[in-house]
Amino acid sequence: MNVLGMQTLFAKEVRRFMRVPGQTVLSPLISTTLYFIVFGYSISGRVHEVEGHPYLHFIVPGLVFLGIANNAFLNSSSSLFITKIQGTVVDLLVAPLGPGELMVGFIGGAMVRGLVVGLLTWIVAAVFSGFSLEHPLATLYFLMLSSYVFSVLGMLAAVWAEKFEQINFFPTFVMLPLTFLGGVFYSVRELPSPWNHISLFNPMVYMVEGLRYGMLGSSLFSPLVGGAILALTAAVATGVTYAVLRSGYKMKA
Amino acid sequence: MSEPTTPALELKGLSKAYGKFTALHAVDLTIRPGEIFALLGPNGAGKTTLIGSVCGLVKKSAGTMKVFGKDLDVDPTGPRYQVGLVPQEINFDPFFSVAESLRIQQGYYGQPRDDARIDEVLTALNLQAKKDSLTRALSGGMKRRLLIAKALVHRPKLVFLDEPTAGVDVELRRDLWTYVKKIASEGTTIVLTTHYLEEAEELADRVGIINEGKLLMTEDKAALLRRFGEKRLVVTFSEPQAAMPAAGARFAASLSADGRTLTYVERDNCAPSGELLRSLYADGLPISEVETRRSRLEDVLIEILRGRPSQAA
Repeated sequence: MNVLGMQTLFAKEVRRFMRVPGQTVLSPLISTTLYFIVFGYSISGRVHEVEGHPYLHFIVPGLVFLGIANNAFLNSSSSLFITKIQGTVVDLLVAPLGPGELMVGFIGGAMVRGLVVGLLTWIVAAVFSGFSLEHPLATLYFLMLSSYVFSVLGMLAAVWAEKFEQINFFPTFVMLPLTFLGGVFYSVRELPSPWNHISLFNPMVYMVEGLRYGMLGSSLFSPLVGGAILALTAAVATGVTYAVLRSGYKMKA
Repeated sequence: MSEPTTPALELKGLSKAYGKFTALHAVDLTIRPGEIFALLGPNGAGKTTLIGSVCGLVKKSAGTMKVFGKDLDVDPTGPRYQVGLVPQEINFDPFFSVAESLRIQQGYYGQPRDDARIDEVLTALNLQAKKDSLTRALSGGMKRRLLIAKALVHRPKLVFLDEPTAGVDVELRRDLWTYVKKIASEGTTIVLTTHYLEEAEELADRVGIINEGKLLMTEDKAALLRRFGEKRLVVTFSEPQAAMPAAGARFAASLSADGRTLTYVERDNCAPSGELLRSLYADGLPISEVETRRSRLEDVLIEILRGRPSQAA
């Protein structure tokens, strides 16, 4: 295993997004904070409590999740995709870096960006709504695994994509609807039928609820369900990405 | 001195097909350690596909590839510690400076940061002044120099230079030639493709000619030039000759229609043109001008690609 190669790629990925912090950290932080202020303050005047929590508290885990998922995905997908487009992927393919090393480097870098944005969002939210951390280990599990899963999915999307339009497909048409319909701003239990039942097929619901359990201490579903779904998604995504990279699909001629 | 037995590169039956199009047809090729091997052929001949297959950029369809005796099917990444590639297309990561790009490259190859080595390569390629510049601020020629530096900074033992001087100035070409000769003298094996045949002629120990995915031949450059090349002697007379001079007839030279120019083509195993010239002077012919021109690799390549079977081995 090329440990130094892996470390180098990871450090490069972190440095890459830190070179443009306004675009990679500040911009998503402002967007998420605006969600918090606009949704939180406009709705909390009418909806005082959701699932036993003040509305401002209730939306914090979902917004942290949103920050992590979006930024982890965007980092790995854009970095690898741009590497393909600008031709520097040659450096990675010629070097003694196997699929495992490439995954650690890209996913590690993307996880750092996702977690930085997620944690900063949490800090900003704490200023408005106060800090709450009921189950630290569960919170850590959901933070880490959420950032991991979306980093892997981002990498997979970048391998598949050949055009900028394709790389934007996942965040726009898959992630955005699933996260917004995933109980970030409301409790899926309060949705009218059949949407409350349909929402149960959205994996994001369990991930958000899992983080809600860790941070607020209660959730609609057992955190084990969300934890298991995340772990399963992580395992499948890891296996598929490894196999795809190993095969050279859309990376080698 | 005994020659090392393990080839730097050994290809057997290497094939690559893109659907119905076959880019490489069962290529067998052995590159000796420490040699400079020039792979020549027209555009689309398969040079870059061959290099890409070895360097992990192209998925081969069949065949085996060994780098310093290690089979890339068995160990796809291990042998790559020894490999460097200057790709044909310029690429650069705009987020990083020249020195940072080279440090990253060292890291990819499992090497700790070595600024002295970076300085050495940058100096050799006349890029030291741009060490701290962002790569996006470099001119086209400078970016090409950076590509070369990236391919060499980890001290590879087998270096592929895929048209390394395409579109660059004479100065870089000379810098690169000097550096390639230096690292080759230190034991690095070089595989070079180029459209500047002057470059191959200057650098190569051995030449391979590929066309339509088939490796037509490999041969020592000097032997190839001797076997396929020719020397042309053109003698101009101050007074027209009514008939072929006796010496010219003995050497099977040709006389122009106006009787003013005698041309002799000297190929391998022919009498040297100097002998003809001495005979012409000895016969007292009114020689006003003598011109000789030796075939270059370019002429030889054209001859072979046009299929000059009589001279083929």
